Amino acid sequence: MKSIYTSSPFAHNNSSVQKVMLQVQLAAFPALLAHILLFGYGIIIQWFLAVATALLVEYVMLKLRDKPVLPNVTDFSALITVTGLVFCIPPESPWWVIVSGSAFALVFGKHLYGGLGYNPFNPAMLGYAFLLISFPAEMTQWTLPKEIAGYSLSFWESFNHILFGAVAHAPIDSFTGATPLSAVKTGIQEGVSAQQMLQAPYLETGWWNLTAWGWINLAFLAGGAWLIYTRTIRWQYPVGFLGALGLMAWIFHSINPDLYAPVSFHLLFGGTMLAAFFIITDPVSSSTTPLGRLIYAAGIGVLVYVIRNWGAFPDGIAFAVLLLNIAVPLIDRYTQPRVLGHNR
Amino acid sequence: MKTRGFLTQLVKTLSPLYPMAKRLLYRFHGGVFPKYNKELSLRQPLREGYIPKQLILPLQQHMGLPALPCVELGESVKKFQLIAQAAKGLSAPVHAPTSGKIIAIEPRVLPHASGLAQPCIVIEPDGLDSAITNVLAVNTPPQTPEAFKQLILNAGIVGMGGAGFPTFAKLPNQPGLVEHLVINGAECEPFITCDDMLMQTHPDEIIRGAQLVAQMFGIPHVVCAIENNKPKAIEAMRQACADSQITITEVATVYPMGGQKQLIQEVLGIEVPSGKHTIDIGIVMMNIATLRAIAHAVDKGQPLVSRFVTVSGLGLEQPYNINALLGTPFDELIALAKPKQPIDYPLIMGGPMMGVKLADNHVPVVKTSNCILANPPEPVQAPMACIRCGECADACPINLQPQQLYWHAQAHEYEQAEKLNLFDCIECGCCSFVCPSHIPLVQYYRHAKSEVREIRAQAQLTEQAKQRHEARQARIERDKQERDAKLAAKKAAVKQQAAQDTQDKKTAQPAHQTAESNREDAPKLSARERAIQMAKARQQAAKASPEQTQPAEKPAAASDDKRKAAMEAAKARAAAKKAQAELSTDQPKQESEKPELSVEDKRKAAMEAAKARAAAKKAQQETAK
Amino acid sequence: MSALAGILIFLGLSLAFGLLLGYAAVRFKVEGDPVAELIDKKLPQTQCGQCGYPGCKPYAEALAKGEAEVNLCIPGGEPTMLEIAELLQVEPKPMQAEATEPKPPMVALINEDLCIGCVLCIKACPVDAIVGATKMMHTVIKKECTGCELCIPVCPVDCIDMVFEQPTPQTWKWPDPKSAAESAQ
Repeated sequence: MKSIYTSSPFAHNNSSVQKVMLQVQLAAFPALLAHILLFGYGIIIQWFLAVATALLVEYVMLKLRDKPVLPNVTDFSALITVTGLVFCIPPESPWWVIVSGSAFALVFGKHLYGGLGYNPFNPAMLGYAFLLISFPAEMTQWTLPKEIAGYSLSFWESFNHILFGAVAHAPIDSFTGATPLSAVKTGIQEGVSAQQMLQAPYLETGWWNLTAWGWINLAFLAGGAWLIYTRTIRWQYPVGFLGALGLMAWIFHSINPDLYAPVSFHLLFGGTMLAAFFIITDPVSSSTTPLGRLIYAAGIGVLVYVIRNWGAFPDGIAFAVLLLNIAVPLIDRYTQPRVLGHNR
Repeated sequence: MKTRGFLTQLVKTLSPLYPMAKRLLYRFHGGVFPKYNKELSLRQPLREGYIPKQLILPLQQHMGLPALPCVELGESVKKFQLIAQAAKGLSAPVHAPTSGKIIAIEPRVLPHASGLAQPCIVIEPDGLDSAITNVLAVNTPPQTPEAFKQLILNAGIVGMGGAGFPTFAKLPNQPGLVEHLVINGAECEPFITCDDMLMQTHPDEIIRGAQLVAQMFGIPHVVCAIENNKPKAIEAMRQACADSQITITEVATVYPMGGQKQLIQEVLGIEVPSGKHTIDIGIVMMNIATLRAIAHAVDKGQPLVSRFVTVSGLGLEQPYNINALLGTPFDELIALAKPKQPIDYPLIMGGPMMGVKLADNHVPVVKTSNCILANPPEPVQAPMACIRCGECADACPINLQPQQLYWHAQAHEYEQAEKLNLFDCIECGCCSFVCPSHIPLVQYYRHAKSEVREIRAQAQLTEQAKQRHEARQARIERDKQERDAKLAAKKAAVKQQAAQDTQDKKTAQPAHQTAESNREDAPKLSARERAIQMAKARQQAAKASPEQTQPAEKPAAASDDKRKAAMEAAKARAAAKKAQAELSTDQPKQESEKPELSVEDKRKAAMEAAKARAAAKKAQQETAK
Repeated sequence: MSALAGILIFLGLSLAFGLLLGYAAVRFKVEGDPVAELIDKKLPQTQCGQCGYPGCKPYAEALAKGEAEVNLCIPGGEPTMLEIAELLQVEPKPMQAEATEPKPPMVALINEDLCIGCVLCIKACPVDAIVGATKMMHTVIKKECTGCELCIPVCPVDCIDMVFEQPTPQTWKWPDPKSAAESAQ
């Protein structure tokens, strides 16, 4: 029985949560493609593993929570969560990394709080933080780009390596290494100047004078631009985040170029663009007022820079996002926009 | 101005690429761009002169108090005749839309979201349409604002844009208080074209009405705002006001441009302060149909008996506009539009954004019905959890934070919702329109608002009850004091006389003291005391025979018989009370005169009364089972 | 020497904070409502006397003094009981038998054909909501009636009924979409 007392409006612009989530998934494709081209097929295997885990976890959790499974799985929010996570972990890391990370993200990041819409923390970043703390060694061994390693794994080699840990005919060290962020950080700690570190051989530039990481970041930027255009995400997130991070980098680089890497390094390495357009833009766990979004994003930018330079981890996105997630209610409260006809 | 023109052009060029760029074209925040479907009802010419089989005229077609009927059942009325006069205060009279016979004065279902029935006058037209000319007795146009307002009130004119606020109450009592008159021809709701049609067909009458109002109240600035998706109406209106001071302004096509606050902000750049009326800041806004009604009242002495209505919707073969008589049933008008399928779904009064879904399709056109919409039901998307995407906040024309309001409204945290300016919400529906989770946000706000209103009213009632109770206590106390004082004075006088002593003043003193001590001991609440005890006694009786206390079905006999029967019953009950009451074996009257029971006893009695009541209820429930 | 410095510093600090706290206590003093007042505000003010006290205020005063149970207010029902229990910081007690849920608001209606004008109900009404005079028909001021039912037992001809107030479009409330959706399921 449907109540006749349904209120206006009786029209809708036909948007839906599914469409929003699929937009995000679509926008992640350029980056996925770039990833495959530059780092091999590992990411595809990881993605399938993550999706399989997500489906299983969603099913079990929804059953346990006594909620209808189909409508809740088809909101595709879990898909976006695990996609975000997949981009964060090294492509050749063993299978249990992504499986445990995805499961943790969905169970502890989403379902235990009451499902989509009720989670105070970004689930993907919660899963990533869990992995960073639990498996620090695995998480910093990133696959080297083809040009540097001089060798790339085929699909089956990646498959065997991820699932069975079988190394084909080369030691793992020959195709993985520290991420540039952590390499530069260690270098600076050992007294090598930032500029010298950036000229190190493993940061060899590829096409158009850009490194592999640079390309990945640009691919994320392209996807992000699409998201802004389709109004799936708000401009305040990337502007606030990249602005704050860039500004911090510029200030400190101007003070001491030897100790602090330039702006371009911070914007084009690590998960900067991934965070700017795909991670911090998760609406559920972020601020909702226009000014609040800007403050939230800028806060993450500042924290990311701080953690990258002075923290214990090479990249600080996960922790920065989680910290700002806590601050969201406060930010929302103090950034209420002026309502028509009110004087502040 | 030039930069604005350039910007407009730029946005227009960009808008096919990025539709939301259109939000830069107007001054207020938010707004949405629904599919308008306005062309549907403009294909057919305007219909006129349709007289239905029955006219249902609700006594309340406006905000405020219902009108009071002044005709009798079976009476013949003529067109324009007054059939219900305005109540004192905020109200509006009702006139007969055509000649005919009053066949009923009874509750009928109203075109209201509640689907409740309210008193209506039902007229059966005789088809002659014979009218009384100049029923409002206007020989010369009114000269003073008071006379003008009285005429508007007598004509039964209310805001015809949708709210139905009696128009006379919008106007000031003296000229010179109003700076701007804004004529609302925006008509921003999808499907609706009745204002468009009116502007195309009768622009001169609208302008005439505006000029009358402007002259009477000395309004220097008159501006008419029309959305730029009505080029024909704009052209017609421009021609009609070519040699007057009235300016016609094209405004961007966006929903809700026709909202009062939004249109004022757009046209004048002024924000109406929250909680204030536009008149407080020297602005009057009137719908074009209202102005036409004013012109008719002043020039022809005709009250408001008909209005332009759009009959449209995706379920109709031939949507059209009609100059419909008030009281015409919706289902008759819909039948004229050749429905594609039988109308077995609820119609909507008004547009799809702010309209009202009707519980019953046989409801009349009232002064505020601008559109009847027949859209076949579509599968409803089940609401999902809010993902705080902020689309609603971007769309809100008031710049509220609908997602946060929703959070508090659904948790019934009304105080918080009020802090987030719940009552500034105009229920335009933009937030629900864009919500990807398909949450019925507006309904949450409407529910929250009605809850808050009820809580406020309840608090007021409670406070009132408390005050009345305290006043009563004080009065009883005062009466007692006065009585005691009199008694004491009398006693003193008697004593004085009896003693026949010379020390009269000294005897008066102790007498007064006794009076005071008497007062403290005297029973304070004899009537209430008795009531409480009787309640207890009744419950005892009820325990034995629960059916006796049930409010019995009173037979439809003559009142004398009823009274006799009641007396008999009362006697019987009194006997029962006598037999079964435990604490008080006496008649209630004697009881009240007896010295009162101690507080302890009182409480015991009351406790027992409560218990007895509970037992009685149980017994009743069991018998009901 | 350093010990002395430490003592002095802490002495100074404690002095400063003490002054600060003292100032705050004076400056931001909250005028506490007497408990009876607070309880009175929670009570439904029907003045029905079902608690055994002659009105809501006496009951509130008795509660404040600790002389009454928290579960006596029948019209307020369980919600009021819980509020009072919380306010007085005592254990909530179950309501007696009936009225665990507040009743829908009802008002008394005098059947004017039957009324004999005895003024008994007028005397019983705790809020003076009944008007009339001896041998004249009485009537209930609907707006003022609290629905306490005290007038019903005193009526010698049983001409008073409790009736529900019919909703009008003005008093009609939009239903809660959430509960509506739940009931639809």
